[in-house]
Amino acid sequence: MTAARDLLKRGNKPARYSAATLAKHGLTGEIWPRVWREPEWKSTYDVVIIGGGVHGLATAYYLATNHGITNVAVVDKGYLGGGGSGRNTAIVRSNYLTPEGVAFYDRSLTLYNSMAADLNINVMFSERGHMTLAHTDGALRTMHWRAEVNKLQGIDSSVIGPEDVKKNAPSLDISSHPRYPILGALFHPPGGIIRHDAVVWGYARGADHHGVDMHQKTEVLDILVEGGEGPEGKGRGGKVKGVRTSRGDIHAPIVVNCTAGWGSLISNMAGVKLPLTTHPLEAAVTEPVKVFLPTVVVSGSLHVYVSQTDRGELVFGASVDPLNTYSMRGSLAFTEELAGHILELMPGIGKMRLLRQWAGLCDMTPDYSPIMGFTPVEGHFTDVGWGTYGFKAGPVSGETMAECIATQRTPKLIAPFNLERFSTGELVGEKGAAAVGH
Amino acid sequence: MLLVPCPNCGPRNQSDLRLVGESISRPDPNTASREEWGAYLYLRENVADWQTETWYCRAGCRTYFKAERNTATNEFRNPPMPGDKVGSGTYITPSVGQPQGEQS
Ligand SMILES: Cc1cc2nc3c(=O)[nH]c(=O)nc-3n(C[C@H](O)[C@H](O)[C@H](O)COP(=O)(O)OP(=O)(O)OC[C@H]3O[C@@H](n4cnc5c(N)ncnc54)[C@H](O)[C@@H]3O)c2cc1C
Ligand SMILES: [Zn+2]
Repeated sequence: MTAARDLLKRGNKPARYSAATLAKHGLTGEIWPRVWREPEWKSTYDVVIIGGGVHGLATAYYLATNHGITNVAVVDKGYLGGGGSGRNTAIVRSNYLTPEGVAFYDRSLTLYNSMAADLNINVMFSERGHMTLAHTDGALRTMHWRAEVNKLQGIDSSVIGPEDVKKNAPSLDISSHPRYPILGALFHPPGGIIRHDAVVWGYARGADHHGVDMHQKTEVLDILVEGGEGPEGKGRGGKVKGVRTSRGDIHAPIVVNCTAGWGSLISNMAGVKLPLTTHPLEAAVTEPVKVFLPTVVVSGSLHVYVSQTDRGELVFGASVDPLNTYSMRGSLAFTEELAGHILELMPGIGKMRLLRQWAGLCDMTPDYSPIMGFTPVEGHFTDVGWGTYGFKAGPVSGETMAECIATQRTPKLIAPFNLERFSTGELVGEKGAAAVGH
Repeated sequence: MLLVPCPNCGPRNQSDLRLVGESISRPDPNTASREEWGAYLYLRENVADWQTETWYCRAGCRTYFKAERNTATNEFRNPPMPGDKVGSGTYITPSVGQPQGEQS
C-alpha cells in the first residue's frame, strides 16, 4: 500500500533532466540528488538477478513496470554497466539473417526508438544508417539473402552498389586498387549508434524508481539448489533456493543469470552446463576530428568496423580474439591488424592517432544466437549467449525475460533461443550476420 | 603476443597456431544418445582456471598437441614434450563453436 502511494506521489517515471533544472542547479550550486539508492541489505527477495548490465537492469525494470513485481534485487560484483554494457561500440540494428533473429532484434529497435521518452533520459539514439560492405561474390550473395529475409519482415534493408556506398560514406575507397575492392553493401537505414551508458543508467534509474534494489560490489559465489540429480543436489530436477554472495546469503525462489561473459561460471554454480566459450573483444577510439563519416561501416572480410561519435572520435572494432580467456588485456596484434585493414578502406585517415583501446568479455555460442528462458533447474533462468551483439538486445531481452519469469511461460519471440536446441539440433545460425558486424 | 609452448617447435607466437578448444573426449557415435552427442559437440566447461586444451601448430610442425593454460591469466604450465601423445585414447575436439570471424 505504502509502496503504491509512494509511486503515485513520485509519478510513474523518474524525473526528467530539463534545461530548467540544469539552470536552477547551476545558479544555486545545489548538489544533484543521487540518481539511485544504495539499498540496505535484505536477505529475502522474490527475484534475484545476477549481473547489473543492460540485460539484468532491463529485466528488473520490466518486471516492475509491466508485471508489478518489485521485490527484486540486482546484484553485481563490480559496478552497474562495468561489463560488456559499458564497453561495447553501441551499434543498434535489426538486419539479421534468420527470421527469428530479425523479429527479435526489431522489437528491440522499436523499444530503443521510444526509450528517451519512456525512461526520461537522453540516450542519444542516432539513426544514421548501417552499411555492411561486400568484397567477394560470396559476401554479396549473403547480403542479398539477408536483404530478402529482412524485407519479408518489413525491415528497411537492401543491397546497394559501390556508387551508393560512396554517397553514404565518401571517405571509402571504392576503386579497384585495394586487395579487397568494395563490390557493394547491405544498407540498413534504421541502424545506428546510441549512448550505451545512458541506456544502462536509464534502466537503473527506472528500476530504482519502482523499488528494485541494486546491490553493487556484491559477488555471487554460489547458487543454492536442492533436490537436483547432480553433486550437492544441483543440476537437472533441482529447485533454486537463493544465492550465496560475498555479503551473505539471499533467499529467493527465482535466480536469473544475466552475466554474459561470466555466464558459464554462474550457470555451473547451479549445475547447468552451457555451450559457451568466453572470448575477449577489443575496440579502440581515435582523437576527435570534424565529422566526416555519416554512417556505420562494417567489413566482414576485413574483420573491422567503424563509426564516428557525435564528439568526432572514430570508434573501431573487430571480431573476437581467437583465444578463450577471461583476461581483458588489450593486444598489439589487434591494433596492428585493425590499422592495416581500416587504411585499406579509408586511406585518408592514415595520420589519425589512436587514443585508447580496451576489451570486454563475450559469451560466444555455437550458432551466434542467445540462450534465453528456462533451464533444467526450477527457478533458475538464463539470459546469456550475447556474444558480440547483445547490447542492442537489452530492451527486448528485459521485456521478454520479465514476461517469462512473471507468467512462467516462454514468450513466442524467444522460444527459438531455448537451451534444448543444442541437443535437438535446431540451431538458429546467425554467424553470417553477427561475426564481425555487432 | 602470447607464447605458446609447442612440444616440437618450442615457444611460438600465438598467431602461428590455432587454439582448437578445451580438450574433451568423444563418445562412441554408434551408441551415444542425442543428449550425449549434443553435449560433446557444444557444451563446454569454459572455466576461469587451469584448462587442458588442444592446439594446432599450423605454421610450424603441423601437429596437434595438448597444453595446460590458465584462462584467467593466460599462463601455461607443464609444457608438453616431444613425443607426448595427443591425449591417450581420446579424440581431438572438432572446431565447432570456435568463432572464425569470417562473415560469409
Ligand atoms: C568491444 C565490444 C564491442 C561490442 N559492440 C557491440 C555493438 O556494437 N552492438 C551490440 O549490440 N553489442 C556489442 N557488444 C556486446 C555487448 O556489449 C554485450 O553483449 C552486452 O553488453 C551484454 O550485456 P549484459 O547485460 O548481458 O552483460 P554485461 O554488461 O557484461 O554485464 C554482466 C555483469 O555481470 C557481472 N557479474 C559477473 N560475474 C558475477 C558474479 N559472480 N556475481 C555478481 N555479478 C557478476 C559483471 O560484473 C557484469 O557487470 C560489444 C562487446 C564488446 C566487448
Ligand atoms: Zn610446432
